[in-house]
Amino acid sequence: MKFKEYLRPASIDEALAGKSLHADSAFLAGGTYILSDPGLSARRARATAEGGREVVAIDISRIVPRTVERRGRELFVGAGATFQDLLDAQAVITSVVDAAKSMANRNIRNRATVGGNIAARKSCASLIPILLVLGSRVEIAARPGEGLVSEPLSVWLDRPKGLIVDVIIPLETGRRSAFRRWGRTACDISILTAAVSYRLEGGAMRELRIAAGGLGPRARLFPEIERLFEGKPLPRRADAEAAIAPLLSPVDDLRGSAAFKRLRGAGLIADALAGAVEEP
Amino acid sequence: MTVTLELNGRRISADVSPSDTLKTTLKHLGVISVRDGCDGEGSCGLCAVILDGKLVNSCLVPAPQADGARVITLEHFSKDRKLGIVQRALVDASCVQCGYCTPAVVLAIHDLLERTKDPSADEVRDALSGTMCRCTGYEQFFAAVRIAAKRIADPDYTERLAPEFRPELRHVGKDREKIDAAALARGEKAFVEDRVERDACHLKMLGSPYAHAWIKSIDVELARAAPGVVAVLTYENCPDLVYTTAGQGFPEPSPHDQRMFSRKLRHVGDRVCAVLAESPEEAEAALALVKVEYEPLAPVLSIAEAKAEGAPVIHSGEVRYVVGEPPEGSSTKGDGRDDPIIYQFPLHADPHRNLAASAAAGIGDVEKGFAEADVVIERTYRGNRVQSTPLEPHVVYARIDGGRLILHASTQVPWHVRRVVSRVLGIAENKVRVVKERVGGGFGAKQDIVVEDVAGYLAWTTGRPVYFRYSREEEFIASRTRHAMEITVKLGAKRDGRLTAILMRLDADTGPYGQHCLTVPMNAISKSLPLLLCDNARFEVKSYYTNLSPAGAYQGYGAPKGSFALQTALAELASELGIDQLEMIEKNRVRSGARIEILRSLGEGREGQAVTLGECGLGEMIARGKKAFRWNEPKPESGDPDWKIGRGAVIIQQGSGLPGLDAANAEARLLADGTVILLSGGADLGTGLDTVTAKAVAETLGLDMEDVAVLSGDTDVTPFDKGAYASSGTFFSGNAALLAAQDLRRKIIAIASSVLGEPESNLSIVHRGLVKGRHGEISLAKLGHMATQGEGHGELSGQGSFKTDHAAFPYGAHFVEVAVNERTGEVKVRRYHAYQDCGTPINPALAKGQIFGGCLKAIGHSLYEELVYDEEGRCLNPRFLDYKVPSIYEVPEDFVVELVPVADEVGPFGGKSVSEISVNGAAPAIAIAIHDAVGAWCREWPFTPERVLRAMGRL
Repeated sequence: MKFKEYLRPASIDEALAGKSLHADSAFLAGGTYILSDPGLSARRARATAEGGREVVAIDISRIVPRTVERRGRELFVGAGATFQDLLDAQAVITSVVDAAKSMANRNIRNRATVGGNIAARKSCASLIPILLVLGSRVEIAARPGEGLVSEPLSVWLDRPKGLIVDVIIPLETGRRSAFRRWGRTACDISILTAAVSYRLEGGAMRELRIAAGGLGPRARLFPEIERLFEGKPLPRRADAEAAIAPLLSPVDDLRGSAAFKRLRGAGLIADALAGAVEEP
Repeated sequence: MTVTLELNGRRISADVSPSDTLKTTLKHLGVISVRDGCDGEGSCGLCAVILDGKLVNSCLVPAPQADGARVITLEHFSKDRKLGIVQRALVDASCVQCGYCTPAVVLAIHDLLERTKDPSADEVRDALSGTMCRCTGYEQFFAAVRIAAKRIADPDYTERLAPEFRPELRHVGKDREKIDAAALARGEKAFVEDRVERDACHLKMLGSPYAHAWIKSIDVELARAAPGVVAVLTYENCPDLVYTTAGQGFPEPSPHDQRMFSRKLRHVGDRVCAVLAESPEEAEAALALVKVEYEPLAPVLSIAEAKAEGAPVIHSGEVRYVVGEPPEGSSTKGDGRDDPIIYQFPLHADPHRNLAASAAAGIGDVEKGFAEADVVIERTYRGNRVQSTPLEPHVVYARIDGGRLILHASTQVPWHVRRVVSRVLGIAENKVRVVKERVGGGFGAKQDIVVEDVAGYLAWTTGRPVYFRYSREEEFIASRTRHAMEITVKLGAKRDGRLTAILMRLDADTGPYGQHCLTVPMNAISKSLPLLLCDNARFEVKSYYTNLSPAGAYQGYGAPKGSFALQTALAELASELGIDQLEMIEKNRVRSGARIEILRSLGEGREGQAVTLGECGLGEMIARGKKAFRWNEPKPESGDPDWKIGRGAVIIQQGSGLPGLDAANAEARLLADGTVILLSGGADLGTGLDTVTAKAVAETLGLDMEDVAVLSGDTDVTPFDKGAYASSGTFFSGNAALLAAQDLRRKIIAIASSVLGEPESNLSIVHRGLVKGRHGEISLAKLGHMATQGEGHGELSGQGSFKTDHAAFPYGAHFVEVAVNERTGEVKVRRYHAYQDCGTPINPALAKGQIFGGCLKAIGHSLYEELVYDEEGRCLNPRFLDYKVPSIYEVPEDFVVELVPVADEVGPFGGKSVSEISVNGAAPAIAIAIHDAVGAWCREWPFTPERVLRAMGRL
């Protein structure tokens, strides 16, 4: 993406004002997503190369918080925190660490931000599945002067608006969680992701949440899979895989056939169910 | 807008535009060390800087955001030309090969050591996870970090990284600093991009959107009139002749079937129009104004389509032969529209049936052999297109100086570039100078004239300096790839495992043009078949044109694919017979003193002859691997029921240059202070060839390494050399340097004899640079100085010219242990051991680094890498996002290289080739190990999880 103008607002309100002033504008913090697409060169097809959109960049890197801290039973993550900030913080639980580690490599983790990973709403987003199953909320600035509004991440992903300022991850006592992913190499983008969380009560999974990415246009919760297992004991892994696979409808692409992704996606969810742990 | 930042401790301001990145800004500020291998995708990490204490890719930092930031680049650590601790450790650990990634590696390790004083292996992986390197295989980086960390506490800390060989020699067989390593570690100007002047014009190429089409019309008037445009070039105004871009000796075994621009477009990205303009932006803008009307044709996208009856014809011009007659039954009459195809000599081709070349021969009687066999198997193996991805893409800077054309090139073949470019331009060879700069990765792709022809032509015709650098996408779609191949192997054997017959049928896909069309597929035969002794053996090779990306040379040439097919088939046969696969190899392999009859039919451009092998190190190599892998004991357990362990082993070979075809020259000059300048024709492409040639001189003349300076690969300054390909560097260019040094030694002794008044037989040269007789002595410095005096003798200079009929085969045995996940199809290479015979290892740790690099590249080809095309012939993954090359995380945990030397009688100090062979082992060894783990044969690489699951019947 090319920038026709570069704004460096001094406050969140100023950033929002910039956004409403410029119809074709984009918030930018780490820039890894917005800048990393080199587009097509003339060597292949001039026609498509002409489509390079020019936008107004609104740099929010100095104004969104990047703190990562425990506040009682909640983990508070500033939207400006980088993936490496998240990994370096002591307060973060294993399933979130696993998800953060899946982001490319150290050079990228030093730039890519939590807020940007959510706001790009990519199917391969490293953090969205685990944040969804942990019941995370986002605090957003929607209109200048109106302060922050809090809403569930799942709601925001369906109807994105405003600027994400922080993410609040509840750390419920008794809730287990896990994140699994598949990429072609260690530092590959996540082709498939899966995250689960549940309470184990009397041997049965309660309040089960399952989210996955790479199986459709966006990473999302899969209530249709949750229903299969809610209130039931932890299934045998092979049984879980067999039950889940028919509910997945990925598409063929160069990263894998639909058949492979179905099998592998079901495997990741089954692995996450079996591997979920609780942390204090 | 203006940004102010602190760059390496200095406060500076720069004017930037909103879309500028920190990378482009640093480049404008004259920072040399910030490189680029992915065009700003953020996937290679070569533009890394330390920004406010964090290692980041500067291509992903908007320049305006860097306002007020502290930026550290490699230059910060290169003050006063001294090497910092990390730079010194990288040099000492032989981690500087091509040097293009070195600045980024230095920064990543500094960043790591800031965070932790004694990093674990995992922390090293994490630190270097974002830095791509294609040369080293990353393994020696672990040692470099260890050395750097220890030296922070103990500056004198050293460790030996490879064993020493040849105790009677001073330098050969001992680790010496690679002679260009320090300069590269300091980030000095070294590459083509560092030579570009401010007034350079920029060349951009419009490529075909179709895999196969005619240009119906092309209108460049608007482009020609656009601001900043200097020249526009299309098929209408380019030189009207066909040539081959293969950088091979003349007459080339590749058809001349390519015009600089053609009306016929034969692959997506094929040249349509070039614009030369004052700036890259103006060139791009002008390209957008070119109006082209295409007549799309049905494309040929596979070998099967190419050979089908009635297939679209990719080259329909007249077929001519310079020498010899067309093969019987082949079609030669052109359609009057397409460019001619000129063969220098017959290659059994029939281009109008898309057959670019073919060959068939053998020994004995395979039908009789199969009839005698107790078991016969026939299997087909497929290898898809891979690209070598040199991190510095194809690049050239062409300029006019003194009425001559100067090409600053990143090439493996300076003299072939000179020959081809002068012919294309229609000027004498003495009007062209090719200066090989440091090469940021060659790997075979830079054996071809991919950019120099058009850049040279535009510089010559406009008089302006021309800079042409490929994008990463162009590197994938319009550079060179390894030919896709389908190889059917039929083997017959007695029940005890002895082979009775081998038949290899090979179909190759040479892409739109015929560079290397016969030699790459033939190499798949000639570097695999002679490993097995069998009285009845036959091969049939066919090479077809298709409309996919151009194919050409890539480290290993055809050998990795031939090796995959034959070694895997041998293991499949062992499995059928219930014999251990290594026992099967043992029963049939070539050994010391064996007569290799099959070489009669594998002449490589000349009459073949059987060879009686001298000593062969394979027995020792296999024994070492068996011991390390406890081959006769049960396999280890994975500890996880999903993961199954498997082992595999293969034997491999390569050559050392092209005996009877190629030649290399060198000249060694004694200076007035007793030091020597070696003028070597050899093209060091990051491999350390200049260090090999320097060693030959220092060893011969009793000098230290710093007493020898090497100038190489400059067609004006240094004598002819065929170039760096076919594993020829050490053997040919090394021998030429040795001969030059010996010639100089002879002359020195002769002069010293008259000065000292002692017979020559009394004199010898001893360290350091001293001619010693029985009574007197004289230094090389004194002799050198006398040459400059009126009363002295003439300048002392030695010439070396090397050619040979002797074929020096390096051999190797590679052992691998993999874990295969039965549920997911994932394959992890846990252990990889390469036992290799490179004759005398001239520089052991550097040789090991070459082998680590080759092995990891081959692991990449085997497991991850493949170019994928859609049904219209468009490459779907021309970028690192989807063409996955190994990172440091893909390095096997137990990665071992052992050198098992068997001195060659002709090689310099007994040296043979070392690097290229190392890509031949991984694919078959891993395929065999996967079978050992889960009982499924993978016959198509890469062995992706999906293909493994399909082979297992789970998908």
